[in-house]
Amino acid sequence: MTIWFVKTLLLCLLNVAAALLLSPLCEGVMRKIRAALHSRIGPPVTQPYWDLLKLLGKEDLRATGGAVYAGVPALTLASVLLLAVLVPMATAAPLAFAGDMIVVLYVAAMSGVLIMLAGFASASPYASIGSSREMMMLLSVEPILAIALIVGAFKARSLTLGGIANWQMQNGPSISMAIGGVAFFLALQAVAGKLPFDIAEAEQEIMGGSLVEQSGPRLALFRWAIWTKQFVLAFLLVEVFFPWPRFGNYLVDLVTTVVKVLVVLALVTLIDVVNPRLRIDQAMGYFMRVAVSSLAALAFAVIGK
Amino acid sequence: MGLIDQATLVRVKRAVEAGAKDALLRTTEPHADTLHFTIEKTAMRAVVEVLVNELHARFLISVGTDERPVTGAFSVLHVFSLDRAHLFILLEAPISENDLRIESITEVIPGANWAEREFRDAIGVYPEGHPDPRRLLLADDWPEGVYPLRRDVPYNYHPPRAENVRPQLREPPTGASVVPMGPFFPVLEEPAYWRLFVEGETILGCDARIFYNHRGIEKLGDSVLTYNEIPFLAERICGICGFIHSTCYCQAVEKAAGIDVPRRARFIRTIMLELERIHSHLLWLGIAGHIIGFETVLMQAWRIREPVMWLCEEISGNRKTYGMNTIGGLRRDLPNEIKPKLLKGLTEVEEQSIAVRNAVIGDSTLHARTKGVGVLAKDWAKKVCVVGPPARASGVAIDARIDHPYAAYDEVPILMATQEAGDTWARVLVRVTELLESIRLVREALQALPEGPICSEIKEEIPPGRVGVSVVEAPRGEAIHFVLTGGDNRPYRWRVRAPTYPNLQALPAMVANANIADVPITLGSLDPCFSCTERLETIDRRTNEVRVYSHAEILGLSRRKPPGGGVP
Repeated sequence: MTIWFVKTLLLCLLNVAAALLLSPLCEGVMRKIRAALHSRIGPPVTQPYWDLLKLLGKEDLRATGGAVYAGVPALTLASVLLLAVLVPMATAAPLAFAGDMIVVLYVAAMSGVLIMLAGFASASPYASIGSSREMMMLLSVEPILAIALIVGAFKARSLTLGGIANWQMQNGPSISMAIGGVAFFLALQAVAGKLPFDIAEAEQEIMGGSLVEQSGPRLALFRWAIWTKQFVLAFLLVEVFFPWPRFGNYLVDLVTTVVKVLVVLALVTLIDVVNPRLRIDQAMGYFMRVAVSSLAALAFAVIGK
Repeated sequence: MGLIDQATLVRVKRAVEAGAKDALLRTTEPHADTLHFTIEKTAMRAVVEVLVNELHARFLISVGTDERPVTGAFSVLHVFSLDRAHLFILLEAPISENDLRIESITEVIPGANWAEREFRDAIGVYPEGHPDPRRLLLADDWPEGVYPLRRDVPYNYHPPRAENVRPQLREPPTGASVVPMGPFFPVLEEPAYWRLFVEGETILGCDARIFYNHRGIEKLGDSVLTYNEIPFLAERICGICGFIHSTCYCQAVEKAAGIDVPRRARFIRTIMLELERIHSHLLWLGIAGHIIGFETVLMQAWRIREPVMWLCEEISGNRKTYGMNTIGGLRRDLPNEIKPKLLKGLTEVEEQSIAVRNAVIGDSTLHARTKGVGVLAKDWAKKVCVVGPPARASGVAIDARIDHPYAAYDEVPILMATQEAGDTWARVLVRVTELLESIRLVREALQALPEGPICSEIKEEIPPGRVGVSVVEAPRGEAIHFVLTGGDNRPYRWRVRAPTYPNLQALPAMVANANIADVPITLGSLDPCFSCTERLETIDRRTNEVRVYSHAEILGLSRRKPPGGGVP
């Protein structure tokens, strides 16, 4: 019992450490790609680490009092780290026994809800607009994540992410899982807050939206949470929908998975660079169409394709 | 000029006579393209109605002047343009010191709103019946009853410090909340304070306070500087279209004094004006992209723009603020040796601009963000007297280069780009078309560039009491300079009106019932330039140590990777 406990704890810490330490690097790579497409040289890939260090070293200025405003940054990062231990990263998720796909969906939505709360608690008109936009984005994107995972659950007859990933591993590509994967990818663009869906931040319209009143260490925690979330969800995408090839060696598998995650994030950046920002009504209309088309994946799953 | 039809002159004179009845004091023709009527102020509104309703004249600007030392009275002068007839009409009314009032014309011409508030602030003549007589030009802490453009107020007057002042802003309608945009805001390069009244994300109305940048440039022009010093100050009215303002000022003085500018100088002015339009439109395209989050357009448009700045530097020695204009011509020639280099540079800019145009025109997300957004109806555009690309995108076919030809535009004529839709997309199309048209114009003007002197000699002093109105089509629309000559080798009155001045007045109608997300791009699609509008001068912070960096050094410094990731 004790050995099992220590082993699980170690695996959890490994996942948390990997997510925390690698996500700024991924962000750095994404910035570099963005710069290249802008004909710029761009900051060094290590820049996000320095950004975090600088922000963490600053004075903690608070726009308003109140427990919600004070506690939300740490909670947001914690919720994302909880997601990190529920998602398989090159090996089974350390806390897989504690929660299935439905828990993962709830935990994934948590950080968005918390950022929204931070906005409403900071008593700024820009933050309020940003938070209401965040809410509308959550409501239109969550169903797509759910439908994509339900397709997997239906095919694998399992509600655990590990079960779906294993089934996908053994049975190879299928039409329904491919459509589900694409829908998940499109939703990832919005969850990561990238163009054309960075509507809730929209610096030029509402000056950063929900996070407009955040600075210093608080902003660092939010930034870190957002970077980690896009990193972990990209893992979820490649592990569940595109798990091949797997070599059986943990290190080799880790490396290939990280490479696949980088490819996914590079694609996210590419879409980000070639698009202007949509208006919130246009984005909701777009995701409505994506949700309806992802139902096709469910239909294919029912007929066994 | 030869463009003016005698029958039109007669028609205008008859119409004004009929409108003014016995109130017409004097009619003069200071220049072939200018008619100057002096009337009793009681007939002002009636004559303006005749001009607008019967002759379809377009209001340009009002000029309030303290002429007490000369005539014993103030004067208010409204400037109109008959675009198709290439004619300026000046309508002047003396205002006695005992009765500082004049009938407001804003109800006839909504676009006269700011102009009337401005002469009220500047010389203290009250427009009676003005719908919105709030302060416009002066700072909120400026004392009541001190009118800076009166002759008895010295240029270096310092008002006492005031406490607890705030702008006079309207309250939001019931149920609406206020979302402030400004005075400092990410998409505003300069301070301006917009209060948006919103319900959810829908805009019910807005109110604005601008003129945070007013620096009293006009006052300096008629009290401290001399005729030939003012072009340098005029050039610093704006950081983008500086050459436009110095040209416009010089042309106004040249017209007032009857000075002929050599042909070569007129061609070089045309080349420089069009080069400014090229880099300004590329700058705008980048900023418009940035406003809707399309940073790639910003980066690529500015990359293409940079070589244009180098060409300007090659010609004048400066990327911007060339210091080339002087009364009677130019201070600096365009060397014939660099013509091939200019033509080659232009070809590259043209190729890349066409590539960007094709990418922009084919982008469906851009269409979604700009089509039907910020629509300015043709009727309202005419009423608010909008100028430049916003006017042409709403189907109002006006362009100073055609309506009042100056420099060499009579010899290298332009093709006007117009659109009918009046939305942001139409304004994008107009500017992109003008960008390519300007490249063609520069190329043709370079090829046709005549030899000869670049400045005419001015032997006699410029006589006082002459007026000159000059317009120049800036990238943002028509800029107007009005000069009334004085003694002491300086103008008695110098009035500047930048194109953003009328264009900003159209914004409230363009954002009504829009979404908050559409406000920045709608404002951006006007290409606002607050420093022009407010006649600002910025001054560089001086360091004690003087060091000249070469181009390569500056590039190297900005690209150096500092140890530890800090700032170099």
